[in-house]
Amino acid sequence: MSIDRTVRHVKAIITGTKYLFSGPRMTIMYPEDIEELPEGYRGMIEYDWNSCIKCSLCAMICPADAIKMYVSKEESEKEKKIVKRPGINYARCIFCGFCVDICPTNSLTFSKVHDMAYYTYEEHFYPPDKFAEGIKHVHKGRRVRVILDEKRGIKYEPVD
Amino acid sequence: MQVQEILNILFEPYIFIPLVFPGLIAAFIVLLIIIWLERKIAAKVQLRYGPLYIIKPLGGVIQTVADLIRYLFQEPIIPKDVDKLAFLLTPVFLFGLAYLPVVVIPIGPSYYAFRSDLSLLIALALTTLAPIFTVLMGWASNNKFSLIGSVREGYLVISYEIPIFLSALSMAILYGTLDLVEIAEAQRGIWGIFLNPVAAVNMLVLMYMSTSKFPFEIPEAESEIVAGPYTEYGGILYGLVMGASYVKLYVLSLVYSILFLGGWNPLPQSMIGNPFISGSVLFIKSFILVAFGAFLRAVYPRFRIDQAIGLGWRISLPLSLISIFISLLLVMGGVRFVY
Repeated sequence: MSIDRTVRHVKAIITGTKYLFSGPRMTIMYPEDIEELPEGYRGMIEYDWNSCIKCSLCAMICPADAIKMYVSKEESEKEKKIVKRPGINYARCIFCGFCVDICPTNSLTFSKVHDMAYYTYEEHFYPPDKFAEGIKHVHKGRRVRVILDEKRGIKYEPVD
Repeated sequence: MQVQEILNILFEPYIFIPLVFPGLIAAFIVLLIIIWLERKIAAKVQLRYGPLYIIKPLGGVIQTVADLIRYLFQEPIIPKDVDKLAFLLTPVFLFGLAYLPVVVIPIGPSYYAFRSDLSLLIALALTTLAPIFTVLMGWASNNKFSLIGSVREGYLVISYEIPIFLSALSMAILYGTLDLVEIAEAQRGIWGIFLNPVAAVNMLVLMYMSTSKFPFEIPEAESEIVAGPYTEYGGILYGLVMGASYVKLYVLSLVYSILFLGGWNPLPQSMIGNPFISGSVLFIKSFILVAFGAFLRAVYPRFRIDQAIGLGWRISLPLSLISIFISLLLVMGGVRFVY
């Protein structure tokens, strides 16, 4: 019984030593290496000003109340009626993608950016005009692709 | 001329050993390196990188220095209901007592701070004082986590202290002396670990238990009781209490290297008189032991308190008695050491 246990202790230490000297590393060196994201990745949302028909379905479907309709002053004055356009609050957004799915004219689309940081809370708000400007975040790192390897586990391969 | 005199005084053994090597400054450097190494080893075993970005070519080796600076400039917070005197003084005593046994540790056959017939006993006895302050710390902090942690420490102390003394003393029986210099010199031929492997394994495990290294990291179990006795501490006081267990492990590793790993042996006769070479050999041995303790963090989960106490009483105590028996057999079988 206790011999069995001792053997198991020794085995555990040997396994640890094996990993200490030969184990691969699965860490992606994030700011230097950026993972290449797959098609259909649900990143931050981009808004196309011209194709939007202001139906407000996106604001209705949004489960987190992140998308709201904002009154667009210029357009309201021009058209002599209240015109509303969607704006998004990334402090609330859960990246579920319902708005993109429900949009009848595909004016909401996904970008592949998900890693933005803000200095203040107010910067999370994207009113329609800012929303239409798009995501201006540029990754400077090397693009890598994730590859599952039988022996090593996870490998990263640069994408050119 | 003045510099020469100061250097001469500095290199006197009774100053050099407690203050520089293997005393305070060496312990401090070990502390800085081993905390980084512990994180690095655990990261490597778990397929990560660990601290990396401070001096990247060297793998972030001065991460601990950065942490130390942060600790130094952190606001010291003393909670309202603590026993202030005990709260402030226990970290200092804990750290001081953790490194105090170093004064009796020789780093060469003729280079020691003071030599006594009982230096092994003195070293072991001084290491047993630190847990009292851990318990006091838990009491002074006036916090339930601290109290639970220090009571756990108390439980552990009574279960490891007796076997650790018995295994160390079994080697004293074998060598026929309690003097650390003579013990190291006795292993010029064959090391203690080969003469009495039971005592060696037993004391290694208990050494990690007494400094709450990983399988026995029960007093400060992070996931259960925040940080155990250290919960209320912050800033440099936390740095001291956290460093104390590493320093204690370092000191116990020095004692262990002398008891079982031959001290400064094997060295050729011409080099053994040089305290720097013999000291370096001793230091490397004990550093490997400390690093192994850091490595265990990556391998083991934490034992339950009853499992650790059970290990102390049910396994280690009989093993230490067996090791005494082995030593007696060897002595009766005619193993003699000449000094």
